[in-house]
Amino acid sequence: MDKKYGVYICTGCGIGDSLDIDALGDVAKEEGFPVQTHPMYCGKEGVAQIKQDIEANGINTLVIAACSRRVNFDIFRFKGCQVDRVNIREQVVWSHPRSEFPKLEEEQKDDGIHFDRVQMLADDYLKMGMARVKKIQPPEAYQVESFNRKILVIGGGITGLSAALDAAKAGYEVTVVEKTAELGGHAKTWRKQLPLGAPYEELSLPVIDDKIKAVKDHAKITVKTETVVARLAGEPGNFVVTLKKPGENIEFDVPYPLPEEMTVDENGKELNAEQLHQKFMEYNKGKLDILKIDPKGEAFGAVILAAGWSPAKLEGDQYAHLGVGLPDVVTNAEFEKIAKEGSIKRPSDGKEAKSVVFIQSPDKEDDNDFAYSGAVTSLVALKQAKYVREDFPADGKAFVFYQHMRTVGLTENFYKSIQQDEGIFLTKGTVTEVTQNGDGLTVKAQDTLLGKNVQVKADLVVLAAGMVPATQKDPVVNMAYRQGPAFRDIDLFDSYVDSNYICFPYETQRTGIYAAGGIRRSMTAEESIEDASGAALKAIQCLASVNRGVAVHPRSGDMTFPDFFMQRCTQCKRCTQECPFGAIDDDEKGTPKPNPARCRRCGTCMGCCPERIINFSDYSIDSIGSMVKAVGVPSEDDYEEPPMRILGLVCENDAYPALDIAGLNRLSYSADVRFIPIRCLGSMNVIWIKDALSQGMDGVFLLGCKHGDDYQCHFIKGSELAEIRVQKIGDALASLALENERVAQFELAIDDYDKIPKIVNEFVESIEALGPNPFKGF
Amino acid sequence: MAETMTLEPDVGFIRELGKLGGADLKKCYQCATCSVVCPISPDNQPYPRKEMIAASWGLKDQLVADYDIWLCHNCGDCTTKCPRGAKPGEVLGALRAYAVREYATPKVVSKMVADPKMLPILLAVPAVIFIGLGLILKSIGINWLNFAPHGGEIWQSHFINNYLVDIIMIPTFFASIGVFALGLKRFLADIHASALAAGKTSTDKIDVAGIAKALLAVVLTVFKHKKFDECGENKQRSVAHMLVLFSFIGLFIVTNCFFVAEWILHIEGPYSQLNPVKWLGNAAGVALIVGSVLLWKNRLAKKDQSSSYWDWYLVVLVFALGVTGMGTQLLRLAGLAGPAYFVYFFHLLFIWSLFAYTPFSKLAHLVYRTAAMTYAEYTKRQ
Repeated sequence: MDKKYGVYICTGCGIGDSLDIDALGDVAKEEGFPVQTHPMYCGKEGVAQIKQDIEANGINTLVIAACSRRVNFDIFRFKGCQVDRVNIREQVVWSHPRSEFPKLEEEQKDDGIHFDRVQMLADDYLKMGMARVKKIQPPEAYQVESFNRKILVIGGGITGLSAALDAAKAGYEVTVVEKTAELGGHAKTWRKQLPLGAPYEELSLPVIDDKIKAVKDHAKITVKTETVVARLAGEPGNFVVTLKKPGENIEFDVPYPLPEEMTVDENGKELNAEQLHQKFMEYNKGKLDILKIDPKGEAFGAVILAAGWSPAKLEGDQYAHLGVGLPDVVTNAEFEKIAKEGSIKRPSDGKEAKSVVFIQSPDKEDDNDFAYSGAVTSLVALKQAKYVREDFPADGKAFVFYQHMRTVGLTENFYKSIQQDEGIFLTKGTVTEVTQNGDGLTVKAQDTLLGKNVQVKADLVVLAAGMVPATQKDPVVNMAYRQGPAFRDIDLFDSYVDSNYICFPYETQRTGIYAAGGIRRSMTAEESIEDASGAALKAIQCLASVNRGVAVHPRSGDMTFPDFFMQRCTQCKRCTQECPFGAIDDDEKGTPKPNPARCRRCGTCMGCCPERIINFSDYSIDSIGSMVKAVGVPSEDDYEEPPMRILGLVCENDAYPALDIAGLNRLSYSADVRFIPIRCLGSMNVIWIKDALSQGMDGVFLLGCKHGDDYQCHFIKGSELAEIRVQKIGDALASLALENERVAQFELAIDDYDKIPKIVNEFVESIEALGPNPFKGF
Repeated sequence: MAETMTLEPDVGFIRELGKLGGADLKKCYQCATCSVVCPISPDNQPYPRKEMIAASWGLKDQLVADYDIWLCHNCGDCTTKCPRGAKPGEVLGALRAYAVREYATPKVVSKMVADPKMLPILLAVPAVIFIGLGLILKSIGINWLNFAPHGGEIWQSHFINNYLVDIIMIPTFFASIGVFALGLKRFLADIHASALAAGKTSTDKIDVAGIAKALLAVVLTVFKHKKFDECGENKQRSVAHMLVLFSFIGLFIVTNCFFVAEWILHIEGPYSQLNPVKWLGNAAGVALIVGSVLLWKNRLAKKDQSSSYWDWYLVVLVFALGVTGMGTQLLRLAGLAGPAYFVYFFHLLFIWSLFAYTPFSKLAHLVYRTAAMTYAEYTKRQ
């Protein structure tokens, strides 16, 4: 495409008052870009002016110097055009008021001493915008080889069946695979369910049988019981799935990655790609490599993971004081079975259990509930307390000792209704001891709301065991991905499958696979039914994005994808290993095999590639590098005391919005910093830092998300990977005789805008203390 | 505190509290807003939060021995501010009603007083006593009951002789005091044991002089309605209660004066309206009627306050006492002999009921609250 450039400088929102617009226009003209201005480009007339320019002059590559790209994005979108938004409002004039950064007096201009920092800032941003648009290309969508829109649901419990029904009702073909011989899962074993509808006060009869019938009757749903996934290969829109009977061993069972210690030879030296592959195949004897596609495999477009949970086992010394092991001390799951079978009886002697104590928290030292409880066990205890009252309305008594009574949302109504039952007694308290006392039990508790150490005589004691996700011990999905068959790093979430359930519910760390129900967090059946709808919609969204060749999430609709210049690949495998989403496989030689439909377009591969052969059409090593190079670096040739030039590479998801908010709040900070938004700090290639320093910039800092166990990164590991890369850059700096301190990384959450002036100014001061970059002016 | 209490919830007790106005007690979720907003609750172990959970756990023995329920003056701040509508004020009221019945003997009378269906029988008792005893005496020649009082001056004694009235009323009065004494003995023993166990006090010996001093202080507090006036939500009750309390005291004084006049000085009534004692009597009578009407009105106006038969029994009885008493006098002065005697008869029934049933009714708070407040004052409730 032949590019025809146009620069549009808005003078509204205080821009025209602060900046010398003619001088700014001259910057564009020097580059040969035609310039227009308008007092309000986001208004009707302004947009009309741009459109007229596009039509009359064939402009197709626009640089709009105005507000942040995070606002008015729909207004400045022109068909067939590429647009760069130069942020001279939030990040120039709003954050650098003239009261602090005064304009030059007439006699100060061009005196070789004075300079206008704010004007320089705007000039640089405009130059950077123009440099960028020269380097970017319009994206072309990636199409999967053959697109399949069938949805695979793993798990035939209440979540899986609900998800299958939701997806089928939306017109999608669904296959449900269930490990056991029967559909229904845990829900089949319950006497009653928590309330399903208004007024949320009465227990409901289980709905599972209706769901099973609806699934069996639905023409678009296929059910396969006693079936598990042996391997899932390919990518969203084109998954190839091998199914098998549980316990079977087949050649399409998924191979496991080599353990760390097997990746080196006897001398501790890392094996090369081919040796590694050989060892890998030996290690997985009898199984085929991940790249081998099962010709008999069934094709699916997306997967809903609803493999559920199992009740936690309560064993060992940790629970000894709760009488674990005594015949009449049971878990909530065991109690449910007793209640399902008929009137509540003690396991020890079959005597009716009319006094039942429910214990919600195990520990004497802290107030945590049993592990894996979430908010579920509170509700289950209330439900089961009600069973006691149903069976023995005249003299049944249920006692609940809790540290937390978690009744979320409308389940509060259920809690209220249970409170009203004259035979149910609730108190916060620490249970200290459960002992056998004749043929009954005695439960002792302290720190209760009753203000005393208390004891209750019980026929039966019920412990509130949590819900352990199926993924704790089993990969379940068995992905034929080079990174391995299981979800990575889910130990951060107690093995629940979720990448970040606050920001991105249902999304796992594997695109196209959406988790719902008890595998995602401990949740009630009622929540699981809702959760299933969420996951079904996500799966559908995935299909409706992959078919158009655009990213699913979080960069929904992004048409770009990583493009590998394979001729220069050195098979270092770094991209395969670092991709947070396992989107890249590699062959026996270590050559990457990208799966763009698995990709979330974060650019981590681009950031890690030492050969810099991975790029996106509108986001590349070159496009950012050119922006870095476009920054004007004044030296002593220009001014007696030239200002510092510092590069800030900022995460566009959190840090860049925070910068905008700082501008909106008129918080000011140094005008010597040039910010470049990048897709994720994980996409930060160290070449940019080297470029910046070698052209005389005095320092570089990265602004990105919090990382660690409670990371906030959209792409999970971006800021963490960036930090590792920055640490490694130290040697290169040393060889240039530059101080390590010239490069830094700061964590910034999206709401940390108020911290920006301090972070930026302190870094600038620390660079000023180091003095100018000795390469300046070369 | 290290002592372990075995919890055996008494479901019947919870149900009973429900009938007495505490039906919402199980709505409590122990946020303690009630204890915080209560203007008169102490800092240490404040009520009514702890009473709320004890009630929802059916801990009867603990609660009837908890004198904190008597320190509450039912101003209703807690009920108004309760985020769950558990009505702590009402629950404490129900607990007091329950405690009164618990400490009164015989229990059968307690049950009857609490049961609206038994009201006709309760009122029939004095009627039978007056007429029955009158007839029996008549049969042996003592003519203290005259169904056709002779003309001329209208005087109640011509109808039912004051001797007959007094030989019935005086023993009834002392019987009531006896019932109170028995209840109070148990009550004090219980609250003392419970207060020691709960750490509300470290005073383990009770000395009479100290108690008397405390009682004097409490009586002054009661007369001034100090506690009432600390209430936020329900201040107007203070006036009504004060009117009724002082009218009772006034009428008690008047009754004693005329008792002395009749039996010692042998001055036969009716007494002149110019007599200062008569002034006091009339003023107290008016105050009683006005006070009871105000009580009535306040109860109807407070929508979030539930009023049970337990409460109405007392309000209506007080009102009836006032109206029949004043009615008798006015009818007498108007020269309407028949109606005057008729109303007087009912006045007698109400007075007898007041004496006889007080230890079993809401009016018993007169004794228990005073005792509890005295105990709290004496032991310096911690």
